[in-house]
Amino acid sequence: MSPIGDVGKRVPIPSSALRPDPLNELSKWGGTPLVRGKRVLDLGCGDGRFALGVARFAAAVEGIDPDPEAIAAARQNRRKSGIRNVRFAVGAAQELSYPNESFDVVILSWTL
Amino acid sequence: MVHALREAHRVLKPGGLLVDARPDSRVLAHAEHENAHGFSRFGTVRTNTTELANDRASDHAIALVVSGGLFTRRRRGRFWHRVPFASLAELRHYLSEHIRFVHRANWIVDEATRRRYANEPFAIRRAVRYDVFSRRATDKPRRPKAVGE
Repeated sequence: MSPIGDVGKRVPIPSSALRPDPLNELSKWGGTPLVRGKRVLDLGCGDGRFALGVARFAAAVEGIDPDPEAIAAARQNRRKSGIRNVRFAVGAAQELSYPNESFDVVILSWTL
Repeated sequence: MVHALREAHRVLKPGGLLVDARPDSRVLAHAEHENAHGFSRFGTVRTNTTELANDRASDHAIALVVSGGLFTRRRRGRFWHRVPFASLAELRHYLSEHIRFVHRANWIVDEATRRRYANEPFAIRRAVRYDVFSRRATDKPRRPKAVGE
């Protein structure tokens, strides 16, 4: 088992295709001002649905997910989209490798 | 879950925002038939007991970090989201493999009606809840209130 295999819930990648459109979801939460020009962390990013959807408004977006397959799919989706201000990494929400006070917004979209 | 929320608090700048959005299992999802006038309800779909327990655990974790002084709730709400299907068979297949829902709908229309419209479009209409919190500036978390305190 991988070091993060016992934390986080793995959800099949295709499930993200059946979730709300990221901009529609963002509009419910408060709209683009929520992320505009900000550093955003998407915890449990899956295949990057939300991170890539809001990247054009944010200064930078980091997405992490415990599932390496999901992160591979997210990176592939990023390459296809041509978006450059998003990075994806395998990781667990319980053990973040980022320094203190490094983000303006943390998103738990269908994660908890 | 509390660990994840504490980590979110650690990496957020003071005043930064935490958004928690997830399916709202406190209300039933609906199985709907799409017709020329919109959608009509054909049945309801419950969340399975395991996921209901997970959702309660998530609610508890959120309540702990809020009462512990890490976050302040700014906004909350709910919206509805439709997952479309080309036919009733597709909807049933979706339910049969779903992680959160029970695998069969509770139909409120009879079998003959379902059969009549089986090859027409259907949808699952589900609720999504969200909470927006801000990170409290203090580095000194409050002691959570004890029950009855």
